[in-house]
Amino acid sequence: MPGGITLQATGTGRPAFEALKDTYKGVLKISLLLALTYLIAHGLSSVLPAADYRALPVMGNRVAVWIFAQLHLMFGAFVLGVPIFALITEIVGVATREQRYDELAREFTKLLAMAYTVTAVLGCVLLVLLVTLYPKLTGYLSQNFKPTWILYVVLIFGEVVLAYLYWTTWDGTQGARKKWHLLLGLLVNLWGTAILFVADIWVTFMMSPAGIDDAGNVTNLWQAVNNHTWMPINVHRLLANVAFGGAIAAAYAAVRFLNARTAEERARFDWMGYVGSFIAIAAFLPLPFAGYWLGREIYQFSQQMGVSMMGGSFAWLWILQAFLIGSLFFAANFYLWLGMGRIPGAERYTRYQVAMMLVLTLGFVVWATPRSIIATGVEMAAMGGSHHPFLGLFGVMAAKNTAVNLMILTTFLSFMLYRRANRVPLVTWASAGKIVQGLVIAVASGVVLFYGVYSYYVTSMVRIGFSVYQVLAVLVAMAVFVAVDIPMLRGARQIGAIRWGEIPARAQYALFFMAITFTWLMGLMGYIRSGIRQYWHIYGRIADESAHAFTMTHGHATLIVSGIVIVFFLLVSVVFALAARHEDRPEAA
Amino acid sequence: MARTFVRIFAFMLAVVGIYAYVGQLLPQFEEHPPRKNVISLQTTPDELVAIGQELTRGKGGCLVCHKDAETGNVRGPDLRQAGPKAGTRKPGMSAGDYLLESLLKPGEFLVPGFPNMMPPANRPPANLNMAEVKAVIAYLQSLGGGEPAVKLLAEDFAQANAAAILQHRGRAAMEKFGCIACHKVAGEGGEIGPELTDSAANRNPRELLAKITNPKAWTVPGYPAGLMPAGDALPEGEVQEIVGYLANLAGKGYSATGAASPWSHEGVRLGLVIFLFNAAMLIALAIAGRRERAA
Repeated sequence: MPGGITLQATGTGRPAFEALKDTYKGVLKISLLLALTYLIAHGLSSVLPAADYRALPVMGNRVAVWIFAQLHLMFGAFVLGVPIFALITEIVGVATREQRYDELAREFTKLLAMAYTVTAVLGCVLLVLLVTLYPKLTGYLSQNFKPTWILYVVLIFGEVVLAYLYWTTWDGTQGARKKWHLLLGLLVNLWGTAILFVADIWVTFMMSPAGIDDAGNVTNLWQAVNNHTWMPINVHRLLANVAFGGAIAAAYAAVRFLNARTAEERARFDWMGYVGSFIAIAAFLPLPFAGYWLGREIYQFSQQMGVSMMGGSFAWLWILQAFLIGSLFFAANFYLWLGMGRIPGAERYTRYQVAMMLVLTLGFVVWATPRSIIATGVEMAAMGGSHHPFLGLFGVMAAKNTAVNLMILTTFLSFMLYRRANRVPLVTWASAGKIVQGLVIAVASGVVLFYGVYSYYVTSMVRIGFSVYQVLAVLVAMAVFVAVDIPMLRGARQIGAIRWGEIPARAQYALFFMAITFTWLMGLMGYIRSGIRQYWHIYGRIADESAHAFTMTHGHATLIVSGIVIVFFLLVSVVFALAARHEDRPEAA
Repeated sequence: MARTFVRIFAFMLAVVGIYAYVGQLLPQFEEHPPRKNVISLQTTPDELVAIGQELTRGKGGCLVCHKDAETGNVRGPDLRQAGPKAGTRKPGMSAGDYLLESLLKPGEFLVPGFPNMMPPANRPPANLNMAEVKAVIAYLQSLGGGEPAVKLLAEDFAQANAAAILQHRGRAAMEKFGCIACHKVAGEGGEIGPELTDSAANRNPRELLAKITNPKAWTVPGYPAGLMPAGDALPEGEVQEIVGYLANLAGKGYSATGAASPWSHEGVRLGLVIFLFNAAMLIALAIAGRRERAA
């Protein structure tokens, strides 16, 4: 990836000509890749016999497309998430006048060039596979969504230009010109978001087609674009990208921490890992709410699809999802509690950790309890059915919604305690403020529990509405808590400075764990999202008539997801290693 | 450093391995697409019941909410007594009519205690044609010890055939661009030009394609040259669909969308976009270079 290395060498404030030259190298690289992709795809389509499907030996069509689509999506999430992460950190740096935030943002932006290259290569391979192996479907989509193809290419070039300029002008726009760099960062993110929204058109149309007649012709392009799942998936992916970008950034910092030779380096990367994990978890907390919205829209579009997803073929994968997200909550809290060990004054809050651990464990157990239990005929006869008379009560959404909301509140509380660990508020109303904060948490927990229990006594249609009250209670509690916390801790007395770098190595493994789990979770949710179309390319309209139209076993699917995750981390390691090696070179210092 | 990487990689493999292992603990099953059943006027009632059962459990997706056996879902009414109960649901309505209404207009009558959540069986995602709907009715009538009393009619198949023709984009394109006005195709159309029903029997798709875009390419003996308007302005995808349709009529396999490279009609425009970006960047570079030299 020479382009990436070239770029790194230029991030030192060079004249406009040099910045433009390096940006053009990025444009040229993408141009050549696209041209090559076109030639290969067009060439293969001309040479191979005409067919609706063509078979890829050994791996098979579906698995090949799945692997490259998921890898492209993961790298796409990374290159869209990192600029959001970088801009937030850069803004914090300007607001707090702390140079280290600027350096952190710059450090991660440096990874972008190589990551863009990998993303583009994966996308091009995916495109060749789709055009060659699924010509009927690709032909249908490309004919019906012509304007979006052009728009997508324009957006990609715009993003490449803006992102390269964002990097190459970093050092040249310090000081008074910083605002222009922030504006550039904002443009990179707006442009990146537009790319995401356009790419989502195709996948969401396949899930919940709209704006077409009975013969499958698009009669209203805007309706086809703005289908039931488009905006919920846009929002869900946007949040997930930030969380994912933060998690990968934290994992990068963890690698650097473990390889650090000096205390200064350890302190730097410890802090970097904390900021990455903070942004990841902050974006992760509202994700379940975006997920509810998406689920609701899927039900609005097709009850049958919704039921297949939640109570049919894919129901068991939600137990696996609960296992993953529960693990994420554990890891996030574990990292924060370990981190509090390096904060003077944090010992005041250690006593709460047992209770929080208890809530998380109970929440985890409830969330991961299946509705139907795998049992033998004798066991089922003894239970009186496939539902356990007691544990079955926890297998329904009423209990699971309650559990996840309480886990979100607990993790939020861990964050807040971490935040104030070494500070003592000096404002006169501090005691009243703490009481208000305690009350909002207690009231929100009460509301969540009340509606959780009440849900068992009402019909499913009423019950679905209760989850909104539970979510609102948690969101309001978090907002009020933060609104009180910020003025309360302004000018607070510091018990002592955070001893950055003095954190156990296992905390870094917690960061890896989060990154791996986020990635695996993305793979699983990607499979569910795509899999619920079952034997349809375009749900209810264009059937998948290939040999791979069946829904595979959960075991098989999870093995493929695992393989994708391993390949992703191998590729990311290459990006990280090249970035680290370059930094170690004397001329780069 | 290498040691740290090995440790981290081993840790990653362990975490991924745990998740993959949990995936193996879940119930394992494969779900295959529903088999295509051929229903005709000659289908016997018993065969119709068997096909109806398969449709209920497969393509129709009925068991996502209903159950027709001891175990199953209870989001919708239990179907095990559907046969005897159907005639009692709506006073004055026969069992057959009630079942037909409940499949095509499920919101018209709701069994007490159940919400209005069922999609019509003849709309996506089930998308059953009338013959298939009647097969499902036959199966439902057979549940609870009843006898299938549904009758298949010729128009049930006409509707299915019409739907099939509607779905061929090539036929739709020929009607849209007026080809049918001069050419007879599959029994319909004018006689100014030659009949096209078997036109693909002796011509390969490439020749047909050439004829549509450039009528002077070749002419069928006995017909005057120069009458047919050139179709070079027609969208390539639709021209390919026409060729695909004609090939199918002649009993040949030809994938219209497979033959048309999805990018072939987009390639020029995409290439133009790429060229414009490169040109703009090169101009910007030239200006910046000149300014730098001047400074």
